[in-house]
Amino acid sequence: MAPPLRARLAASPALAGALGVALLLLAWEVAARLLWRDPATLPAPSEAVLVALRLLTPGEIAMHVLISLGRILAGFTLAAVAGITLGVLCGRVAAVERLLRPFVEAFRPVPPLAWIPIAIVWFGLGEASKVFVIFLGAFFPIWTSAWRGAALVPQVLLDSARSMEVRGPALLFRVVLPASLPDIAVGLRVALGLSFGVLVAAELIAAERGMGRLVMQARELGQMGVAIFAIFLIGIISLLADQQLSAIIRRSVGRWRPV
Amino acid sequence: MNARHALPPLALLAALLLGWEAAAAAGWLTPIRFPPPSRLATSFRELALEGFPFGAFLSTHVVATLRRVLAGYLIAVALAVPLGLLIGASPLLDRMASPVVAFGRSIATLSLLPLALVWFGTEEAPKVFLIGFGCFWVMLSNVIAAIKLVDPVLLRAARSMDTPPRDIFLRVMLPAALPRIAAGARMALGMGFVVIVGAEMIGTSIGLGALIMEARTFYRSDITMVGMACIGAIGFALTALLGLLEARLMPWRRGRQT
Repeated sequence: MAPPLRARLAASPALAGALGVALLLLAWEVAARLLWRDPATLPAPSEAVLVALRLLTPGEIAMHVLISLGRILAGFTLAAVAGITLGVLCGRVAAVERLLRPFVEAFRPVPPLAWIPIAIVWFGLGEASKVFVIFLGAFFPIWTSAWRGAALVPQVLLDSARSMEVRGPALLFRVVLPASLPDIAVGLRVALGLSFGVLVAAELIAAERGMGRLVMQARELGQMGVAIFAIFLIGIISLLADQQLSAIIRRSVGRWRPV
Repeated sequence: MNARHALPPLALLAALLLGWEAAAAAGWLTPIRFPPPSRLATSFRELALEGFPFGAFLSTHVVATLRRVLAGYLIAVALAVPLGLLIGASPLLDRMASPVVAFGRSIATLSLLPLALVWFGTEEAPKVFLIGFGCFWVMLSNVIAAIKLVDPVLLRAARSMDTPPRDIFLRVMLPAALPRIAAGARMALGMGFVVIVGAEMIGTSIGLGALIMEARTFYRSDITMVGMACIGAIGFALTALLGLLEARLMPWRRGRQT
């Protein structure tokens, strides 16, 4: 006889998770079809997917996804380079920290979306303004974590490196950066999640293509099914991107420190 | 920071402001893109005394924004804390909920804007909904983690002393989880401020998010910049306030980092 459901769920987190998701989707499906019965305001999940696949070709969907991912990649990469450089500098060089920290701290509480209008004034409605806003959203968490990581490099590591005549770039790349990497990794993951949230807002305001635009267009055409499909698409892609990043982090950082 | 250390950043700040002002006066910077600092000061006065759009004073915008953020935030906290405690305390529920929570956090809150408009109209409700949605998932995942990460030694010790389950929950688990829950509450508030700007961009002209968008369409980037500074200042002040509250509520944590 099969073991009782409870025991099997306890043994397999994946099975329990799948059951949780399935129950939730089923509840939504039933509520939308039997209780609400108005697909114009709340379509069932199956309806949403069917409508979206009828109205959009796979090529169109792929195009929107790729355009959005391109913007994220550009803004996030710039933020990672700038954030890690400035963060490590602030963490290791006291003079730089005293000089720059008040400025960074002053800009940090301004929400990234509040930069959208000024980004449009500075960079126009093209790609640059969206990349700039994503850059700002991702920069601050990366800067903070790199700064903390670099400031907290154990003195023992630095002393022993110095005693072995390791200095200059070698000290930076072989001691300081690897030692701050676990902290930086946390910042990178937070930043990637924020990038997606900021991207959608930037695309809602002004974009002709991209996943955020897809949501807005569905609203203008009154296609709730497509809007829900697009919302889920953005969520799933953001989740997959996060898993990809954390897998990379585990491969590179996990070797010497669990994350 | 002593006076000697405060000097370099102050000098840099003064140099930047002077350079900016001079470059604008010399015509190197277009005022629409980089309104000079003196202009920003006048705009701030204009916004505070005459309002922008006319009659909508800075205080009106601030109150509207604060009310929306706090309403959404408090609803989210009120829902997420009990739910999170329940899920965190039950390993089975936690396993079932974990993909849902991970996905909920991954949903871009502002992508729900069209749904919010269809479901809740264009008044206050859709804005409160969006803020609440954004805060909810941050809060929920933090409460669940806080309960799961309670040191099992504490629980075993309490059980070995025959503490009734109710007391274990109220007097051991809850206090032990509180610092992480508080950290989550701070993160959720930050999320509220990220979302509010987007939520106010459509269907209203009152609120700081609406203000900065409206100002752009009138080519008043000076007002946009003043509005951005105000959102930043309020976000900063509220986070500081929560920090103080935390120190009050959890005196045993004073001076420690969460």
